[in-house]
Parts: sequence; structure tokens; C-alpha cells
Amino acid sequence: MTLRRFMWIFVAIAVGAFALALLGRFVLAWPDRVVGMWTGIGIGYLLGALLFLLTPRWWRQHCDEMYAQPAGRRYLRVLWPALVGYSLALFASIWLLKQGIASVPLRALVAVLPVLPLALMMGAGLRYLREIDELQRRIETEAIGIGSLLVSLLYFAGGLLQKAKVVDLDAAMAMIWVFPLLCAVYGIAKMVLTRRYL
Amino acid sequence: MQNRLRELREREGLSQGELALRLEVSRQTVNALETGKYDPSLPLAFRIARLFGTRIEDVFLPDQA
Repeated sequence: MTLRRFMWIFVAIAVGAFALALLGRFVLAWPDRVVGMWTGIGIGYLLGALLFLLTPRWWRQHCDEMYAQPAGRRYLRVLWPALVGYSLALFASIWLLKQGIASVPLRALVAVLPVLPLALMMGAGLRYLREIDELQRRIETEAIGIGSLLVSLLYFAGGLLQKAKVVDLDAAMAMIWVFPLLCAVYGIAKMVLTRRYL
Repeated sequence: MQNRLRELREREGLSQGELALRLEVSRQTVNALETGKYDPSLPLAFRIARLFGTRIEDVFLPDQA
């Protein structure tokens, strides 16, 4: 599976989401909230496809080579179902919480539902790390290290600013953003480190 | 560290991809080894030497201080 193919899959999902939004708006008379949700999903996937389109050729070639190897293929086999599972779990969790759940243990269980597919994805990531060759493992571990250190520094500085009452951040949002930030910094670091060995 | 990996590979008529397959590493790793951007671990260096039927010191040459 190449990055270009992923891009077209994203475009197809976006077109499907837009079609559903149009159908809901003009044929099925869905509420604006639901039509807006499908439009948002479509825009999200279109932006994802644009990201694939804008990636430099050397990076696309590198990713295509890595994901064509057995370790990469095994990783992707878990990654995509886990990401779809995460999207569905997130959707279900937010919807159920909005309906209101009185029982605290049940509310906790529903709230952390999206964590389970992410844990699956992390497990696959660790397996991938063990299976790739030594240079790729060096790049991966260095990128994870850089990501962890930079995000830790950012959060430490943020904590100090919050304590000094310079900023006032929502604790839940701050905690939720740890993982996406880690992923973003890891991704950028991996690109820079990979380029070094090309 | 300098090495004779490219010379040995070309002598065997192998592409980088074919050598990568035989060494069970990525093509990028073979390229990084050949260009001297990456020094292999001892186990990988032994695998490379064994593949070409030679000794490690005949493939990898230490930099002159």
C-alpha cells in the first residue's frame, strides 16, 4: 500500500461523507447538526488527502519502501482497523456522554473507550519497532525521544505559567493534547532524521 | 568509518534492494552504509562480511586519526 493509494482512499471517504451530507440535507431532511458532522468528516479527510499530496517525493518513496517490508505490512494491518475503531469509539463515547450517564463507573468506562484502539495501535507500534532493522530503529527511537523531551518541556513550561497565573488552560484539553502533540513532533523529527541518512 | 560495501556489491552484480533483502535490512540502510552515513552494529557487520565471504576488516576500514 503506497501513500498515493492512501490519498485516494481519503478522497473516496471524503466524497462519500459529502454525498451523505447532501443526501441528509436535501433528501432525508437530517438535522443541521448531523449534516454538519458529515461535512466536517468530509473536510477532515480532504485535508488528510491534501497532506498526503503535499508530502515530498523522497518521503513518499521512503514510506512506500518501509511499508512494503514485512514489518511495515504487519504494522499497517493493525493501524488502519485501530484508527477506524478509534474514530467509531470516539464518536460513540461523545454521543453516549452527551445523552448523560448517571453511573460514575459506567461513565468512566464510556469516556475511556477511545483509549482501547489507541492502545492496540501503540502495541503494533512497539512490535514494529522491534522488527525493523537497526538504522530504522535508531531513527524511530531518536524521533520518539525528541518528541517526548520537547512535549515534556512544553508541558513543564505550561505548568509553571499556569501556576504563576499567566495562562489559564483547561486541564482536560491540555491532557488530551499530549498524545497528538507527541505524534506531531515525532513525525517531524522522523522526517528530519530520515533525511540525514538518505 | 569507510567501507568497500558498494565495490563488493557491484562485483557480485547485486542491486541495493537485492543486498537489502539478503541482509534483511531496508534499502535505505544499505545506502546509508555505502555512503558512510551509518556504521553498522557488530552483528550486521559480521552478516555483511559472511555474505561476501570475507573478513570484517576487509569490508570496513577505520578512519585514519
